[in-house]
This record gives sequence, structure tokens and C-alpha cells, in this order.
Amino acid sequence: MTARAAPAPLPPATTVGLVGWLRKNLFSSLGNSVVTVVVAVVLAWFVVNLGGWVFFEADWTVIISRVPLYIVGLYPYEGYWRLALCLLLISVLLGMSWRAWPNAARRFAFAFGAIMLFVGVFPHEMAPLHRALLLLNLPFIGLGYVLTPRPAEAGPGRLEAVAGDALAPVLERLAFLSTPRRMIVASLVALILIMILILGIAGVPGLDPVNPADLGGLMINLLLAFFGIVCSLPIGIGLALGRRSNLPILKVACVIFIEVIRGVPLITLLFMSRHILPLTFPEDLNIDRVYLAGITITIFSSAYMAENVRGGMAAVQAGQTEAAQALGLRGWQTTLLITLPQGLRNIIPAIVGQFISLFKDTSLVYFIGMLDLVEMGRVSVQGNQEFIDNGREVYLFIALVFWVFCFSMSFISRRIEGALGVGRR
Amino acid sequence: MTANAVTRLLYVQGVPIWRNVVALRWAVQVVSAVVVLATIALFLLNVAREIEARDIPFGFSFLQRAAQIPIGEAVIPYQPSDSYLYGLVVAGLNTIRASVLGVILATAIGILIGVARLSPNWLLSRMALVYIEVFRNIPLIVQLLFWLTIVLTLPKVAEGYVIADTVFINNSGLYLPWFEAQDGFWPWALITAIGLALAVYAFRRLNRRETETGKQSYPLIAAAGIAIGLSLVALLILGPLVIDIPQVEGRFSRLQGGAQLSGSFAALLVGLVIYTSAFIAEIVRAGIQSVGKGQTEAARSVGLSGMLTLRHVTFPQALRVIIPPLISQFLNLTKNSSLAAAIGYPDLVSVANTMTQIAPAISLFMIVMVSYLSMSLVYSLIGNLYNRMIRFKAA
Repeated sequence: MTARAAPAPLPPATTVGLVGWLRKNLFSSLGNSVVTVVVAVVLAWFVVNLGGWVFFEADWTVIISRVPLYIVGLYPYEGYWRLALCLLLISVLLGMSWRAWPNAARRFAFAFGAIMLFVGVFPHEMAPLHRALLLLNLPFIGLGYVLTPRPAEAGPGRLEAVAGDALAPVLERLAFLSTPRRMIVASLVALILIMILILGIAGVPGLDPVNPADLGGLMINLLLAFFGIVCSLPIGIGLALGRRSNLPILKVACVIFIEVIRGVPLITLLFMSRHILPLTFPEDLNIDRVYLAGITITIFSSAYMAENVRGGMAAVQAGQTEAAQALGLRGWQTTLLITLPQGLRNIIPAIVGQFISLFKDTSLVYFIGMLDLVEMGRVSVQGNQEFIDNGREVYLFIALVFWVFCFSMSFISRRIEGALGVGRR
Repeated sequence: MTANAVTRLLYVQGVPIWRNVVALRWAVQVVSAVVVLATIALFLLNVAREIEARDIPFGFSFLQRAAQIPIGEAVIPYQPSDSYLYGLVVAGLNTIRASVLGVILATAIGILIGVARLSPNWLLSRMALVYIEVFRNIPLIVQLLFWLTIVLTLPKVAEGYVIADTVFINNSGLYLPWFEAQDGFWPWALITAIGLALAVYAFRRLNRRETETGKQSYPLIAAAGIAIGLSLVALLILGPLVIDIPQVEGRFSRLQGGAQLSGSFAALLVGLVIYTSAFIAEIVRAGIQSVGKGQTEAARSVGLSGMLTLRHVTFPQALRVIIPPLISQFLNLTKNSSLAAAIGYPDLVSVANTMTQIAPAISLFMIVMVSYLSMSLVYSLIGNLYNRMIRFKAA
């Protein structure tokens, strides 16, 4: 008979479980316990006061009676369906990207769907048709997902196991979308469609042109930030290459441009562009301030983008360049085929970060008289005797909207940084 | 004969000039230079021509004329009859005032939050995280408008909050007791400055002794003692400062005396400090975490106490990582102070914007941009100096 090993003694109750966790993290010493109690009391006081105000004292009429104003500004009511169509397009694209790059795009699709669900369900004044259109985005994300061929290297997934036979003929027809490059082309086409839907075309029934000055609310913040980033990428790459080049005049010009733009506040640039940019166009061409804002934000963003690109290219290992030279590539070939692509890959997280800060900065376009989300809120408060005391409600609401967007983007980008393996190769 | 001369010019050692590396390099340089300069010149000439053609006011002669605009608060005395140039200087000083105060407070709060983020206390660390994530993800302008709303909903002077009969908080701003300079101020300031210099010298001397010999020398305490002691003794002997407490005066309950922070200045300062401190806290956290754990362990194993480890091992290494992004945050804060224009604090942008009603807008904002550029130049100068200072020296 073999001696049975005595069971290991259980750890003392004070080191495991809830009690153990509390001891270790909140009450490990006298000083620590005091800190915990003080912080807890302050926190409780704050939460009780804020909660009491939010639920019992605050008057949210100023928000719930005019939600569309904050989201799309003065965009004509008859055109809302066009915006809804844009959202559906984005949903399909997100569903497709989810399928093609599961790690990177899944969370964006989730976040987008969650926002649509929230706005569609939340009790504010909104036509049932528009609510339905918003909620339709959820199935559309699924539609985009289902209709995209799974990347070959990923192998068959759960969806193929369940509905592979039924989907096969459809997917075969959509096989032309199976490479990322073609998917990017599809996105660009969708982008152009979205711009046409938003701005309209003269003479096409149903697509009456919309005065660009009527674009406003959150929509204009998002549009400006998005186009600012997209347009500033090529300019930023050009500036970064210029700054790295050995042509002295070009280099000095790029350095001066980048440093001047980075050294002054955006607000002064907006002001200057309001006065100087129109001079570079013919006098009778009255370009709308939306475009002025777009150009300024692109210029502003491209200086920062240039520095990002430069940093990303500098982080590419010297061995890469040496290997390219050893293979006999010329200088420009090395830059365009070796350094730049790897450098761009390095800065994906930085671009998301720049998008977030640019999105926040677009709130400055009030300075040239545009009705973005913030200015809409200010007008709501200061332009209405009825709501003159509701400033806190309005600014808290706007802060919350910006916060949800910025925080979720930075959270997602931190997650996909790992998924993309940035900095690990 | 001539054909031969041309050939001799075009061929160097049998290589045609269009294949000659030196010639090609020169050609590229010249062509690129011409293209760049021509583009810039074309743009400037075009703008200049349009300014002329469309009769847009431009020029700098207005700077000497009387500005005729009111500036709500000023560090140095200002009247509307003063010149535009002087008005811009006053506004610039307002920007500098907000930036300097903002930088000091944001650094202090940022360091506190950043250290709290690393606290072993779970609750404190989480609260610091919430602070950081909330405030850096909301545009500054929204925060400023919110704080301004809060300030404006404060009660009037007569019903305002009073703390210990000395601090007044109401919808016209924040009033604090402040010092008023007397006759002996400058001698006292001189003695204090000498004391500070001595303290810095003593700190360095004792710190080096501690590093070299390993004997506890208390450099921080000694330095603080010298600086504060000298200043205090001089204060008692010379009596250069009296404390001026704000008081409610007159029929209209106006507050007089002390230091006054106007409502919009208070909102601007609170907004700037909270927004920037969230970024600084992240920088501080990352800096402290960047120091390898092995460094602390090694320091402890050679017998340094916790405090000494922090001062001689962790902190100097973390500073190298912290300072450069910190300086760029200072620059950001200075640039962001231009949002004062949205809440009615008379900073550089705000005043220049008001002036454009009469004065040439393009000239005015050129001056504003140059002012900001010189401020950012000062910051990058400090940054470069620091980088040169901390460069690893060859042993």
C-alpha cells in the first residue's frame, strides 16, 4: 500500500478570492487603506451628484428635440434618405472588411453597428422611417460579411461549414473582390458614391444638389477629418521624401513648410485661408467655406503626416536599404519599393492617432463660420432664449459624442496594433 | 573644327555629358531648385497681384495708429488710445500669461496623475486612468465652453462663495489674496535670486559627493534650506511684501484688491490645464515604466534605499524619456491657448481678430503667426539644449 500524499494545504483565505484581492490591491498597508477610503468617498460624492443632476435636474429637451441638427446640421430633411443610404454603403464595406481582415476590421464593424443600434433605439424625436433605416445597418453589415470571399490563406471558416454550398455560386461571382487591392478600389468607388449622394448632382431627379454650407453637425466633423487624413497622406509622403532628399532647395522648402505649419495654431491657419485662399482662385468663383476648411485641414494635417512618415521610414532597419543596394536597386527604387512601404506599415497606429486628433481639431472650423457639432451646440444655447440655461446639458452631450468616437477609435487601434504585428517584425 | 570643339565639350573622358554622374547630379539639383523656387514665387506673386487688384488692405503702417479697441484684461496698463502694436504686445502678454501658468499647473497635475496611474492602489490607479481617458478624448474647445458655462452660472458677487473671508468665487471670476510690493522689493528679489543660485550650486556639489563617495549628503534638503532660509530672513528684515486681501467695496459690491482671475481666464486655465495634464500624465507614466525593472533591482541590491534609488537611478533615466515629449506638450498648450478666442479671453488671436474689423487682416495674422512661430522656436531651443545636455558622454 502506497502512502497517499497529504493534500497540499489550502492557501490562507486572506490571500485568495475577493478578500485576497481587496487586501492586495486596496488595503495592503495603512497608507494604502487611507488612500482607498479617501478616493472612494470622493468618487461616491461625485457619482451621486452627477447622477442626481443627470437624471433629475437636467433638462434634456434641448438635445432630444433636435438630435438631427447635431448630427447632420441644416441638411435638408427631404435628403435624409440619401445620408441613410451612405450609412448602409459604409455598413456593407465594414462587413466586407471584417471578412477580409478579421482582426483589424471586426471591432470597427462592431463599434459602427453599436452606434447605429443606439441612435436607432434611443428615445429621442426621430421619424420611425429613419429609425428603421438606421437599424437596417445591422443586417447590412452581415450582408457585406456573407458576400465576401474568405481570404484563401485563412482556410474554411464556420460560415463555410454552415452555408458553404448555398453561398458558393454567389461568391464565385464576387470573386473579383478577393484581393485587398480590389477591395480598396471598391472602397474608393463607394467613397465617390457617398460624396455624390451627400452633395447631389444638378439635374438628376431625387439627387437635388445640396448647398455645401448646409452640411453641418457631427457629419461635417467626420467628413473633414476623414478627407483631411486621406488627402494629407500623399502630400505628407511627398513632404517627407522632400525632407529626406539631398536636393538642398527642395529640402529647405519642405522643412520650412512643415515647421511653420506645426508651429502655429490651426485657428490662425483657418483665418489666413479665409483671407488668402480665395485670392488663388478666379475672383468670380465663389468657393464655399466647406472647401476652404477642407483645404486648410489637409494642409495642416499633411505637415504632421510628413513627420509621421519620416519617423516611420527612419524606423526601417538599415539592413533593408543595404540589401536593396546590394541587389543593385537605384536610390529612388530603394525608397519607393523598400523603405517607403515598410515605413508606411510602421505608421498605421500613428495615422489612427492623427485621425483622432484631427477629428477633435475639426471643431475649430466654427472660426470660419461653419456649423459643426460644437458650433451647433453653441447656437442652440446662445441663439435660443428657451435654452439659454441649458449650456451644461448641451456641452456634456457634445463631449460625450466626441468621447465615444475618440475613445473607441483609440481603443480599437491599440487592439489592432497587436493584431497587425506592428513593431514586431 | 567647330564640331570637334562641341564634341570635346560634351564628352568627358569618352563619357557623354548626359551620362556623366556629376553633371546629372548638378542638373537635378538645378532643375529641382528652379521648380521649387518658381512655384513659391508664382504663388506669392499671384497673391500679391490679387491683393492689389481686389483692393484688399495690406501693409504694416497701421501699427502706429491708435487701436481704439478695448482689451478686457491686461498685464501691463493699456488704454484704447494706445497703438495697434502696443495692443498686440498686451495681447501677446496675455497669451504668455495663460501659457506659463498653464504649463506650470499642467506639469504639476500631470505628474501627480501619472504617478497615481502607477500606484499599487487599484482604485487610485483606475481613477487616474479614467481622468486621462476622459479628458484627452474630448476636444479642448468643448471643455472650454463647458467650464465657461459653469463659471457663468456661478452666483453674483454679493451672493458668491467666500472661503475664509479671503478667497472669493463668483460669476465675475476668482479673487485671491496676493502680495503687494513695497519699497524693499527689489533688494529682496536680488537676495532671493542669489539664494537660489547658491542652492543650485550646493545641490550639485552635494549630489556629486553622494554619487562619488556614497555618503548620505541630503542635497535636496540643504538646497531647499539655503534658498528658503535666505529668502525668509531677507523677508523679515526688509519687509518688501504685504498681503493684499480682496474686499467687497461700494454700492455695486465690486471686489477690490488681491489677484483677480477673470471668469474667462479661469475657464481657459482650467480647460488648458486639465486637457494637457491628461497627456502629460501618460508621458510621465510611460517614462517611468520605460526604466527597466533590472535597474531598480540592481540599485536595491547594492544597498540603495527606496528614496535614493528613485533619485539616483529611476528618475534620471525616466527624465530622458519624459522631457522631449513634455516640451512638445508645452508647445501644444501654448498653441491651444489660442482657443481663448472662443470664450472671450483677450489673447493674441482673439485681439487680432477684433482688430481685423478696421485693420488689414492678412498683415495682422502674419504678425500673429510669426509670434507663435517664435514661441515654438523658444520651446525647440530649450528642447535642443536639453538633448545636448543629456547626451551620453564618452567615459
